[in-house]
Amino acid sequence: MAQRAVWLIRHEPGTPLCGTVRFSRRYPTVENRAKVFNGASYVPIPEDGPFLKALLFELRLLDDDKDFMECRDSCTHINKTSIYGLSIGNEELWPVVAFLKNGMVYASVPLVEQTLSPRPSLISISGISQGLELLFGIQDFLYSSQKNDTELNTKLSQLPNLLLQTCPFGTLLDTNLQNSVDNNNFASVSQPQKQPAWKAGTYKGKPQVSISITEKVKSMQYDKQDIADTWQVVGAVTCKCDLEGIMPNVTISLSLPTNGSPLQDILVHPCVTSLDSAILTSSSIDGVDDSAFSGPYKFPFSPPLESFSLCYYTSQVPVPPILGFYQMKEEEVQLKIKVNLKLHESVKNNFEFCEAHIPFYNRGPITQLEYKVSFGQLEVFREKSLLIWIIGQKFPKSMEISLSGTVTFGAKSHDKQPFDQICIGDTAYVKKKNVGSYHIAYSSELHFSILDYTLTGCYADQHSVQVFASGKPKISAHRKLVSSDYYIWNSKAPAPVTYGSLLP
Amino acid sequence: MGPLSREAWAQRLGAFRASPSAFMAGADGEDLGRDLLSDLRSEKLSEQTKVSLLALSLEYPAQLWPDVPAAEAAATSLLDTMVLLPPRPSALRRPLLLAATTVLASGGVLGPTSGASCRLLPLLLGLASGGDVGRGFGPISEQRPLQATACECLRELESCKPGLLGGILGLLRSLLGQEGPIQPLSLLLALALRNTLVVQPRSGASLQGLLMAGVSSTGSGPWDWTLAEKGHSHLQPQAPCWPAAEEGACALAVLEPSPEEVRELRAAVAQLLDTSYLLTPVAQAQLLWLLGWALRGLRGQTPALFKPQLVRLLGTAQLTLLHAVLALKAAFGEALFTAQDEALLLRRLTLAAQHPALPLPTHLFYLHCLLSFPENCPLGPEGEEAAPLLLGPQLCRGLMPSLLHDPMVLLSRLHLLCLLCAEDEEEEKGQVQNPQWYLEELLAGLQQRAALDGGPRVLATLCFQASYLVASCLARQPMILTPLIQGLTQLYRARPVLAPHFVDLLDRVGPELEEPLRVVLQQEVVSRPGRDEALRWHLQMLAKVAERDAQSATLSFLQAAAAHCANWGLQQTLLRVCRVLLRGGGGPGLADLLQVLARQLEDPDGRDHARLYYILLAHLAGPKLGVALGPSLAAPALTSSLVAENQSFAAALIVQEAPAPIRLSVGPQKATGPLLVLQLQVEALEPVYSLELRFRVEGQLYAPLEAVHVPCLCPGRPAHPLFLPLQPRRPAPAQLEVRALYTTPTGITCHAHLPPLPVNFADLFLPFPQPPEGAQPGFFEGLWDSCLPKGAESRVWCPLGPQGLEALVSRHLEPFVMVAQPPTSYHIAIRLPPNSMLLLRLQAAQVDDGVPVALRTNDWAVLPLAGDYLRGLSVTE
Repeated sequence: MAQRAVWLIRHEPGTPLCGTVRFSRRYPTVENRAKVFNGASYVPIPEDGPFLKALLFELRLLDDDKDFMECRDSCTHINKTSIYGLSIGNEELWPVVAFLKNGMVYASVPLVEQTLSPRPSLISISGISQGLELLFGIQDFLYSSQKNDTELNTKLSQLPNLLLQTCPFGTLLDTNLQNSVDNNNFASVSQPQKQPAWKAGTYKGKPQVSISITEKVKSMQYDKQDIADTWQVVGAVTCKCDLEGIMPNVTISLSLPTNGSPLQDILVHPCVTSLDSAILTSSSIDGVDDSAFSGPYKFPFSPPLESFSLCYYTSQVPVPPILGFYQMKEEEVQLKIKVNLKLHESVKNNFEFCEAHIPFYNRGPITQLEYKVSFGQLEVFREKSLLIWIIGQKFPKSMEISLSGTVTFGAKSHDKQPFDQICIGDTAYVKKKNVGSYHIAYSSELHFSILDYTLTGCYADQHSVQVFASGKPKISAHRKLVSSDYYIWNSKAPAPVTYGSLLP
Repeated sequence: MGPLSREAWAQRLGAFRASPSAFMAGADGEDLGRDLLSDLRSEKLSEQTKVSLLALSLEYPAQLWPDVPAAEAAATSLLDTMVLLPPRPSALRRPLLLAATTVLASGGVLGPTSGASCRLLPLLLGLASGGDVGRGFGPISEQRPLQATACECLRELESCKPGLLGGILGLLRSLLGQEGPIQPLSLLLALALRNTLVVQPRSGASLQGLLMAGVSSTGSGPWDWTLAEKGHSHLQPQAPCWPAAEEGACALAVLEPSPEEVRELRAAVAQLLDTSYLLTPVAQAQLLWLLGWALRGLRGQTPALFKPQLVRLLGTAQLTLLHAVLALKAAFGEALFTAQDEALLLRRLTLAAQHPALPLPTHLFYLHCLLSFPENCPLGPEGEEAAPLLLGPQLCRGLMPSLLHDPMVLLSRLHLLCLLCAEDEEEEKGQVQNPQWYLEELLAGLQQRAALDGGPRVLATLCFQASYLVASCLARQPMILTPLIQGLTQLYRARPVLAPHFVDLLDRVGPELEEPLRVVLQQEVVSRPGRDEALRWHLQMLAKVAERDAQSATLSFLQAAAAHCANWGLQQTLLRVCRVLLRGGGGPGLADLLQVLARQLEDPDGRDHARLYYILLAHLAGPKLGVALGPSLAAPALTSSLVAENQSFAAALIVQEAPAPIRLSVGPQKATGPLLVLQLQVEALEPVYSLELRFRVEGQLYAPLEAVHVPCLCPGRPAHPLFLPLQPRRPAPAQLEVRALYTTPTGITCHAHLPPLPVNFADLFLPFPQPPEGAQPGFFEGLWDSCLPKGAESRVWCPLGPQGLEALVSRHLEPFVMVAQPPTSYHIAIRLPPNSMLLLRLQAAQVDDGVPVALRTNDWAVLPLAGDYLRGLSVTE
């Protein structure tokens, strides 16, 4: 379960090495065990320099993908997990857990407590999940409230001490690094036993419980006969409980209105003490019918000190909040576009903001634009080949708005213009076999947010929150609906479909 | 040297970290460990700097103190430093404990003979017990964190030396029940318990005794090393609650504890599990792995103890927790998970593998877990990824790949889709929305993206990886392969620059895809006009896909292309295709093409190569050509194709020196005449073909010898004797130099020097033609008389063995006896080519140990040889 070493590598494309090691930590006692366990198949942990090079190569983060290289580009070199083998010298270091997030590569080498040849299955190595969790923890710590590079550097400089607390010998004690900072501050003589390890101390002050439900709605709309539109709601319930006592018990119930959409795929925080089996089994795999469990969804738990995600869920609402179509056709040198959006009547018509982004990929800058909008304003970003239609706070009474126009582009220069691997033309290539002529598979993306509203109707009833602790807490609840990956595909060309869109 | 300043240390540590090996090799390297230890006690350095020094010793103890005595001294020094700390709060106590532990454990010092170990262990145990360690061990406020740290240190030592804490299990249990910090003590107890269960059967210690041992047993007495000494030689894998890993490692601990022991053990495990919710999720997961492993080896133990935890755990998607549940599933199977439980776990896993709230690496890991799911009743072969039986298409609906996914997600989901398609082979044919149809659409989309001009290589790579996956999972489904081949051909048409990917794919896939794809790609290439701008790629492709029996379409494409191969590189690629065709033996048109190239190519090197190929084609037989142009066995590390090619030619066309492949010896001679023939015995050590043996004699004693030819020799197969005619110029013994020239089974021609063959004096003997019956005495006497006066006469004493004269004659001289009066008198006439003779009269004497021999020869030079020969006869007897 231990890690042999951990690295943070800043990816810096364009520099000679394409990255720098910002942090590394080795665990020699674990390394000793690796030597014994792995036996003849043991490969030592390399120094930072060679490791950096090998890892960036394997992750394709070096700038040299011009030529075909067998050890990287071969069709058999298939990686289906974030676990890699790095060739260092003549040997292969395996398993290396690594992923790139926000320009930072997080990497660790878990101890495998047996020989490496034949390679054991990943599922049998406890260090894999521990390694991933450690890296997630570091990532959370670095990016939780970090705004700029200075703050990142400050946090990086705190890491050695934090890992000394949470992972002193390579075996992870807590993924919440912030906890160990607090732990030092809270540490008191009178810590009673049964103090949970995930709770640094006890809260002193006015009791209050804050619950916020954020729903993200995703959608893929095609406006086609043979392809079904898809949409999905993903909810997250975040809590912050400021309550006195070592382990105060709280129960939060999420409720739905009578016509609300049942919550499914519910994942809870480990602090939740028990779960109704209906909650455990309610799954999007089964689809929705009237017999589906529709709440109330009770979550009894003992909260940690910090703000935490009590649960996540998904839901299948009957209609998408905004239904639209997007038609685009290439006519000689111009593109003719038409976008139509309609807000569903059941949705609260009071946005924090609402806008539609219409990007044009793999083309030159916009040189000319003629357009007409029935509502809102259009902003043009010529160099970025992007149109943004700002709809504002409210749809008009008709609930339906439209945009039409023609766009002309300049010459394409490879470096600056946005390239997208999905929004390329020529989807018809397989069937029509007319290589060279580019059809368009573009989409427009909606960005919007509605406060004090959820699409499922899900809400946390303040009166149903039970708190078993001293004092009557102040309870506040918030709701919000935001869009995320809300695409409306050009209906005049083929578009990438998901399996769900093809089902009858 | 006095203590360094903060800046100096920062610089030194920075230099060390940049490359420890380089730093240690430098001038400053040797002193680093010593300076570090001494400066830890310096009053000029801040605690912050000292902590960074300790951090270094936590990471690189092996570099700082490379041998056992140095590590022991360092640990001692660290402990001393800790004792010397003033009794106020200090940030150094914790890292000092950690550093001392690390140095001991990683330096191989830990043991009963190490003074530092014997100091550290009681100290750690004292701190962990929350007792008063005395000697101003920091203020009381620091006790609590130090207690946790001491537990961590003990746990690490126990990990490195299993059984170390076996003697204090009882103490740990009682501490857990009191007021110790819950997480460090729980984990420590769980590890010690597990290790004890592994070590205990071999140590013979009573489990119950260990679990019940009270606090008193530890106190200040000497540390109990018995269990650790037994355990050390077997650091036991922790993972093998996994069935696949089970056979080897788990066989060690099938315990059959007594009922009392079982009761105590259950109580200890229940105690740990009941408070496990107080641990952080990652620590809970560690606890479950440890306890699962501990109980697995115990016969008759129901794992029901874990059941109350499961529902709580299944609700979360915390990676380590769900992974630990899977470990329990693998460890206990049906005993812990009924069929319904298994179905629920699988549902939760499927859900977690796609839940939008979880990050991508987690999705990928869960997907891997799905395909390696430890089923209660697995059907497929062990260790191979497969979709679990309960995971039907309905459950997988959300796990289908789409072009919108990240490449890794796409590939792993594609793998699942392929597995489903493989199962689905028989059902649901013809439906529009079946998985096969979707797979086809997806591949088409991938090919389309890869075809995008100027797109990143990763897209092309992804397309070929997907094709490989599909080809390897669904090799027997023409319904899938046919459109795949079509799509790939179109991809090539759109983007010949991907030729290296195609070559790679063709190299890797099985014949089901390789053969048809090769054929269509060849047609695709040769149907192009030869002046395409992508000519380089077409030629590269053709070098892979060209049929060996040079089709006319290929040749005419090459002919057309030759005109446009303006630069050296292109010409070489063109010639490489010719080479491939040559290897297959070439066809009628190839010679013409090569001649054209030898004239037409602009580059002299290209022309030379073409001429060389033409000459090879004209002069070498097909198989030899194949070998000459085959992949070079020599110097595989060389990257230059030219050098490699030359090496290959050199290997194939130049006769190479080799160790002797046969053993040659002179066989028994049958002196029959009229010509002198040496009989040779040959024994093959390795298969050789077209063997030619060449012989040479020093000093022109014999006429030049003819070579002997053998078509084939194989080890273990009896070989006929070989006959080597000798034409001596003088009757003298000689050494024959022998060389062998032959072809190996791989077609390479070699030559070898064999050890020299001796031709003895006796090997040169020939009989005289037999005169008619009755005329022998007269014939002999005539010869006898003819020797003098030109020749020579002599008498020698020939010693006899126990056998007597008759035996001597019949053994050595039988063919040459002219007149015999056995057993006393023999007249012997020997012809020695070219025109010498040797005549002997042997007359048995009165004494038994010898016979006087009168000899005459017409060649005085023979006399000494004859004398030696006769004297040697009895020796060889």
